[in-house]
Amino acid sequence: MYLWENMPFILIIGSLVGAFIMAMFARWKRDWCPYLTIISVGFSFILSCILVYRVAGGEIIHYYAGGWRPPWGIEMMIDELGAMMLLLLSGSFLLISIYCIYAIPREIPPSVSGWYYTCFLLTLSSMMGMVATNDFFNLFVMVEVTGIGACALVAAKGEKLSTEAALRYLILSSTGAAFLLFAIAFAYQITGNLNMTYVAAEMAKVKDQFPVIIWVMISFFTIGLGLKAALFPLHIWLPDAHSSAPSPSSAILSGLVVKVYIVSIMRVYFLVFGFDVFTGTYMRYLILVMASAAILFGSFFAFVQVNLKRRLAYSTVAQIGYIFLGFGLGTAWGIMAAMLHIIIHAFMKVCLFLSAGAIYYQTGRKKVTEFTGLGYQMPVTMVAFTIASLSMIGIPLFGGFITKYGIALGSLEANNPYFIALIVLSGLLNASYYLPLVWQAYFVSGPKKFKLEMDAIPFSMLLPIMITAAGVIYMGIFPNGPLSFLGKAVARFLL
Amino acid sequence: MKIDFSILLLNYPYFVSVIIFCLGCLCILTQHNLLKKVIGINIMQSGIFLFYIALGNIKGGIAPIFDPAMPEAAIYINPLTSTLILTGIVVGFSVTAFALALIVKLHQFYGTIHAPHIIRMRSLG
Repeated sequence: MYLWENMPFILIIGSLVGAFIMAMFARWKRDWCPYLTIISVGFSFILSCILVYRVAGGEIIHYYAGGWRPPWGIEMMIDELGAMMLLLLSGSFLLISIYCIYAIPREIPPSVSGWYYTCFLLTLSSMMGMVATNDFFNLFVMVEVTGIGACALVAAKGEKLSTEAALRYLILSSTGAAFLLFAIAFAYQITGNLNMTYVAAEMAKVKDQFPVIIWVMISFFTIGLGLKAALFPLHIWLPDAHSSAPSPSSAILSGLVVKVYIVSIMRVYFLVFGFDVFTGTYMRYLILVMASAAILFGSFFAFVQVNLKRRLAYSTVAQIGYIFLGFGLGTAWGIMAAMLHIIIHAFMKVCLFLSAGAIYYQTGRKKVTEFTGLGYQMPVTMVAFTIASLSMIGIPLFGGFITKYGIALGSLEANNPYFIALIVLSGLLNASYYLPLVWQAYFVSGPKKFKLEMDAIPFSMLLPIMITAAGVIYMGIFPNGPLSFLGKAVARFLL
Repeated sequence: MKIDFSILLLNYPYFVSVIIFCLGCLCILTQHNLLKKVIGINIMQSGIFLFYIALGNIKGGIAPIFDPAMPEAAIYINPLTSTLILTGIVVGFSVTAFALALIVKLHQFYGTIHAPHIIRMRSLG
């Protein structure tokens, strides 16, 4: 009963406590850290499953920290989107922590491997806090902790490039957090509340009274969270940070970290400001322009990269554009496509980055020109890579198609069919930088004939790759479950 | 549009805090020295902290400690913003510490903390 009532809190504190325990084991028993991390994340995963089950039963979970009711105390609210994000975060972290057992000793120095798991769990904890919280200041604290944890995940490699990328990431992300804090100050100034629900209710009353402050506030929220979510002109930190990090960190950063900021910004736009203010301040049109630019330029930049992980990182910039485009359209299908793409892209990017890590683990290859024969040397990994690539392009039966279809429907609903042309063009661009890799892996013959053999990587690294690839196919063939689950969240967003 | 300057004068703490915020932002964008960038972040955060404190303050208000000897109509300042800023200072401190640690590490690698030099050395290989 105690567990049942305090579940959101235990979920977040659980991994935070896990992080501190891991800091202890980092000095004492370094070899136990990965397994303890799996236990801790597995615990979060089970709790998230129960939360999703409860939310699917029609209940929106409110938790009041210390029993203080909303206008005064900190409130956690888990709605459909939040529950889905919690499940996605803990599930992906569970897969990545299984992958870490063998990948981490290869990629980062042994002296910091225990600390790596501390940051790992810290990031998980604060990200879950960010999607669960309904309080603005709590959101800011969680944003900062996520920023520090994510930077530490990049810097863990201890090389020149990753240290420099981590510093740039840290400076830009704390700049973004400062903008966010200022925006929260404005929200407190004109509404006198920090709880998002109450801020929204007050904002509806006073929005005509303070047009300039509303305008500044929504811009600051966009800069602050957009900088952290790598919306196109603010994406400059992303490629370096994501490509120089160890592969498990890249998967976390690309697949999950940027998404929680997008969830926050969606809540700010639709639940706090409301659709009228979002459109009335022209912020929606700005988002549409920046998202379109992100899709085009992200794909162009990805096309010219030689390093595999850099190519995947620029592809993330483009895919972030899809999510922003989806909710920027502001129609039911658009927002639904954005939410679905958060999930599908997490599956695809985690799969691709873990495959890139597996390729590096077995063959030491990092470049996109070195894929020759990989389809024979690493058949399972390359099949997963191919599935994720086809999903990126948007072939039917794969997850990415569902998003593209949703955005196309959304742009028809919004009477703006130009975006369908953008989607088609972007599908072609994605094909131009993913298909050559697949083609090279299977059909380009090397100096000698390749023999089909099994991947020479541990099964615990292969398993997460296979599961995420299966998830991509599952989302492509049976999207009805998540669609009907998220439908209520979309309806509340457009209220 | 006519701007009423007396409002600006009455609310000068907000005005000053916005100026400090902008100075910090400028410092991050224009300085090449990595240490100065970190200082810029701190200046920016100080501006925001000042804004919060000014938000909670009331002219002539007293600290919100209940005292039976005080008259009924005493004006208390809002303590919430000050407590928020305590958290904000801690967060800013941890970001600064982490950034300084990374800068020390970069100095070990490259022998300089001047950003353009680091970029040039990196591009040379």
